[in-house]
Amino acid sequence: MTDKKPRPLLKVENLTVRFPVKRGGLFSKKAYLYAVDDISFEVARGETLAIVGESGSGKSTAALAIARLVEAHSGSVMLGDDDFLSLKDEALRQARAQVQFIFQDPYASLNPRLRAEAVVREPLDSLGTGNPNDRQATIDELFKAVGLRPEQQRLFPHQFSGGQRQRIGVARALATRPELIICDEPVSALDVAVQAQILNLLRKLQKDFDLTYLFISHDLGVVQHMCDSVAVMYMGKIVEHADRLSLFNNPLHPYTKALLSAVPSVDKKRRLETKRILIPGDPPDPLSPPKGCRFANRCPAAQEQCTQSQPLLRHMKTGHSVACHRVSDDGVAPL
Amino acid sequence: MTPLLQVDNLRIELTTRDGVAPVIDDLSLQLNAGETLSFVGESGCGKSMTALALMGLLPEGVGRVASGKILFDGEDLTQASDARLREIRGNEISMIFQEPMTSLNPVYTIGEQIAEVLRRHQNLSKKAAWNKAIELLDAVRIPNPSARVSDYPHQMSGGQRQLVMIAIALACEPKILIADEPTTALDVTVQAQIFDLLRDLGREFGTAIILITHDMGAVADMAERMIVMYAGRKAEAGPVEQVIEHPRHPYTKGLISCVPHLIATLTEERPELTEVAGIVPSLRDFGRDQCLFASRCDRADQQCKSSRPPEIEFDDGQSSACWHAEQL
Repeated sequence: MTDKKPRPLLKVENLTVRFPVKRGGLFSKKAYLYAVDDISFEVARGETLAIVGESGSGKSTAALAIARLVEAHSGSVMLGDDDFLSLKDEALRQARAQVQFIFQDPYASLNPRLRAEAVVREPLDSLGTGNPNDRQATIDELFKAVGLRPEQQRLFPHQFSGGQRQRIGVARALATRPELIICDEPVSALDVAVQAQILNLLRKLQKDFDLTYLFISHDLGVVQHMCDSVAVMYMGKIVEHADRLSLFNNPLHPYTKALLSAVPSVDKKRRLETKRILIPGDPPDPLSPPKGCRFANRCPAAQEQCTQSQPLLRHMKTGHSVACHRVSDDGVAPL
Repeated sequence: MTPLLQVDNLRIELTTRDGVAPVIDDLSLQLNAGETLSFVGESGCGKSMTALALMGLLPEGVGRVASGKILFDGEDLTQASDARLREIRGNEISMIFQEPMTSLNPVYTIGEQIAEVLRRHQNLSKKAAWNKAIELLDAVRIPNPSARVSDYPHQMSGGQRQLVMIAIALACEPKILIADEPTTALDVTVQAQIFDLLRDLGREFGTAIILITHDMGAVADMAERMIVMYAGRKAEAGPVEQVIEHPRHPYTKGLISCVPHLIATLTEERPELTEVAGIVPSLRDFGRDQCLFASRCDRADQQCKSSRPPEIEFDDGQSSACWHAEQL
């Protein structure tokens, strides 16, 4: 933590996303599922924040809401000086060029009827970036930047391998020269040997284009490699948020510990040192979350107070933030 | 001690539009009772084909065992009749698949699906099979089994469905359990539970496990021995710890170092990941007399491109099919 803190590129405050759920009869009360429940974080320019969590934790929904691909219920998303969530019409269209998305499945996220060059060109045309006459030159550059050959521009998506398709997806995300790229599980659909190519590419591009990444993943090994800081989500809430080294070397929240301890490792030393923390059972019903800590029913360290009141995210001196009653103020973990 | 399963020089051919391709080319292996053996490799390397061949489930009319033997308890499964194979499947060798979402029948309760196996293979009565199904759900640690037994698959989470699949696979106490990417679609905490369960079952019943995966971490966690497959051929084999510590094949090396792992103490250092350039060769090229990894290997020389490397043996049963294995 430096004293002179540059203004964050992305500042998310109290973001909440809820979905209406049909339940009961015609006159029953409308029920909502809070997929993302009051989360806040910042990402500095040029850095990578990873959001991790298991399926259903709300990490993808949070990403979609930040990119305005699903509607947020409340909260704000500041992108530089703009309140991204309140922008409308032309201003929104302009701002969209600043936030681009790389999707999980390169087999489903490219239009099969467009040639690769048209896929990459689409955001340029629809968001009106740059002079139309220069667009071909931009596309040439992008293909080079992501490691595809110029003659491959004329091919259709099915003529590429999975890794190459994801490169097209990356080129498309870069096309409008965005500041923030949201990577939603960008390598989890790829073969292991190909993952490295995409991860190395993303890191190189981050340096070359001064990009800021919001990196969504459930693969903690990949997150460890890519991120500068990590937010751990459980049932729509951020339970722990810290820089990379603090989180992986000194996790505080019992859920983070359990998550890390569940990852099998090739490192013998880690295997011997890591004590497996079992969290039996399932998360509670998201439609009626408990009034206390949402992790309490699976937490080996849970006590009376954990089922009584919801722990707030507390900022520790170390720069760690954690939402757990059992973590002491000077940052001693219960497990 | 004769091994529980012994595969000798197995060759499996698939008939494709471009002709006949050997998807498994000269594979030999041994599996002892109670042992866990892991197959590792990218998709398209023949891992799943090997599993299907062991089960006698090769795609009909397309795939066939061209030569070699699969000896299970001394009996050659490649010569066994369909009826005999049906007897062995489920009773002696059973399998769990990657997709717990699609491997269960959505219109039957899970109890009925477990009981069906017991009634077919062990001729249990309806009542007895149902009670055994509850016991099995309890054995795979599904909470409140006597109530959950009449649930339909959609009422369970992905992890629980995979547990049900394991219960079905274990119903007849098989000697070998083949797990084909059993946790790929699941969260890590669920994966850890399933691995714990498989490990305990191996210990308790002496079930031998063949774990097919692409995750080196899972291999290190679960298996005693591993076989690295590449393009239908055995690239490297040996005891897990030894192979991970000192891989003797560039492909194994690539597989280990192309994935960022969690290590005991992280530091600021983040080296570039090793890229294994290119992709697995197409089936058309599978039978060639050369090292099939040569096109992706930075050590490849003329010899690698002109003749297939033999299997070179090292200490403690490690072996590698690479012309440069000794220098690695």
